[in-house]
Amino acid sequence: MLKIYLRMWQVTWAEQWQYRANLLMYLLYYLVSPIVLLSVWRTVAASQGSVKGLTANDFTTYYLTLLIVSHFTTEITIHVLAYKVQDGTLSGELLRPVHPVMTNALMFNLAFKALTFIALVPVWTLLYVLFRPDFSGVTPATLLMAVPAVMAGFAVNFFLGAIITTVAFWTTRVYSLSEFIYAFAMLLGGTFVPLDLLPAAVQRVAQYLPFQLYLYFPIQLVLGKLAPAQIVQNFALQAIWLTLGGLGFWLIWRQGLKRFSAVGA
Amino acid sequence: MHYLKLISAFIKVNLQQALAYRADTFLNIVMNLMWLGWELISLQIIFSNTASLGGWGLGELIALLGVWRVANTMMFAIVWPNTERFNTSIRDGSFDYNLLQPVNSQFLVSISRVVVWRVWELFLALALIVVGIGISKSLVTPLSILSFLGLTLSGMAVLYSLWIVMIAFTFWFVKFDNNVTILHALMDTGRYPATVYPAWLRIIVTFIIPIAIATTVPLQGLRGDLTGWQVLLFLAVGAACLFISSRVWRAGIRRYSSASS
Repeated sequence: MLKIYLRMWQVTWAEQWQYRANLLMYLLYYLVSPIVLLSVWRTVAASQGSVKGLTANDFTTYYLTLLIVSHFTTEITIHVLAYKVQDGTLSGELLRPVHPVMTNALMFNLAFKALTFIALVPVWTLLYVLFRPDFSGVTPATLLMAVPAVMAGFAVNFFLGAIITTVAFWTTRVYSLSEFIYAFAMLLGGTFVPLDLLPAAVQRVAQYLPFQLYLYFPIQLVLGKLAPAQIVQNFALQAIWLTLGGLGFWLIWRQGLKRFSAVGA
Repeated sequence: MHYLKLISAFIKVNLQQALAYRADTFLNIVMNLMWLGWELISLQIIFSNTASLGGWGLGELIALLGVWRVANTMMFAIVWPNTERFNTSIRDGSFDYNLLQPVNSQFLVSISRVVVWRVWELFLALALIVVGIGISKSLVTPLSILSFLGLTLSGMAVLYSLWIVMIAFTFWFVKFDNNVTILHALMDTGRYPATVYPAWLRIIVTFIIPIAIATTVPLQGLRGDLTGWQVLLFLAVGAACLFISSRVWRAGIRRYSSASS
């Protein structure tokens, strides 16, 4: 099995290495929105001292950490797979004795991350120099704990994305569904603002949803802002959503395959 | 007259296309309303935590959102679809047919694709501007409205010119089909007043990829932040950009040597 993954990695890496010139372009899309929001909140925090206890530095560290965490936890399965369902090229992959999502799509995601990470490092360093944030809350312990949190967060998001992508078996308008959920995730996961700034009622709901598990939770964990009880709760939530996501994907994929009748083949 | 006829013909063809995919068009409109709701909620979140953003109030940011949506509509209705078409036509050589037409080639490249249903967004944007100004209670005079309209037009002219220059670069660097990505990526900076950005970012969105000139500046005109001379200067910049971009385009056309050769 490991051999298969290694081979898949080589293939997807080589595939994407051809497009390395587009790297900076992809990166640009990821960068702009966090930097804009960072500037907005720094301005607000500077004008009134702090926002709900968050200082300008808190916002800077939050969004700069977000850039890294979201780089590791975003996933692009829909762009790798949905079109294959629609034009029927998925048939070829279904003939292989391995699961197309759990091997090919997963490796594609990882190779894409590895490649864009090369571009992220210098840009992030430049931002660090420009904003000079104070990362004193970060300790080796928080960094160490963040590793499993980020990995589990990616897994949760990956299953979520895989489930959405599988809807492509039923409708060609799956991209709109994905966009719709993405909009929710941006508000309830911590992309737009740290969840602390949302109305209390929304926060209470958001903390149990999967979206914050792959953004807000790992960010706060790295920055050392979480009490031990919260850390335990979030890891438990990750385990629950991971199970639900895995199970849900397994079910919907089986149903989807039954409907699949390779268009045009 | 000739050009008006051509524009109406293009619009007719594109309208037929949109009507052939009615369900998709409808879904697109629903998604657009969803994002409008999202944008308003995001402003609500910001202003539930502060009374002003760099001196701008909620009403002004709603109006700014309206202006940003005007610029964005131009991008999604005309600029992106025509870029896609242009890049394909350079790659497969069908751009030659553009040059053979007895019409200005820049005109053809700019307008042959129009995503017609996006037009309704302009009404939405206008509503946002009117409501925003209403909430902000800032002093609006006939003169400030006039300068707002002028500055919006010249801002759009600046963005349009930048686009023409960017795609004209393809004549020099053939592999440059990422030509508009930077413009696309930076559009989001127009949602907030450029005055809140750190100096380096403000310089980028004002002078290099001047999205702020099409969003922040018109609103500043409406708020009365600009002196008469500044307004005239921005209008002149818009006209100058149009002129320069058409020169760059013509120079590019002279460099063009088709795909197969």
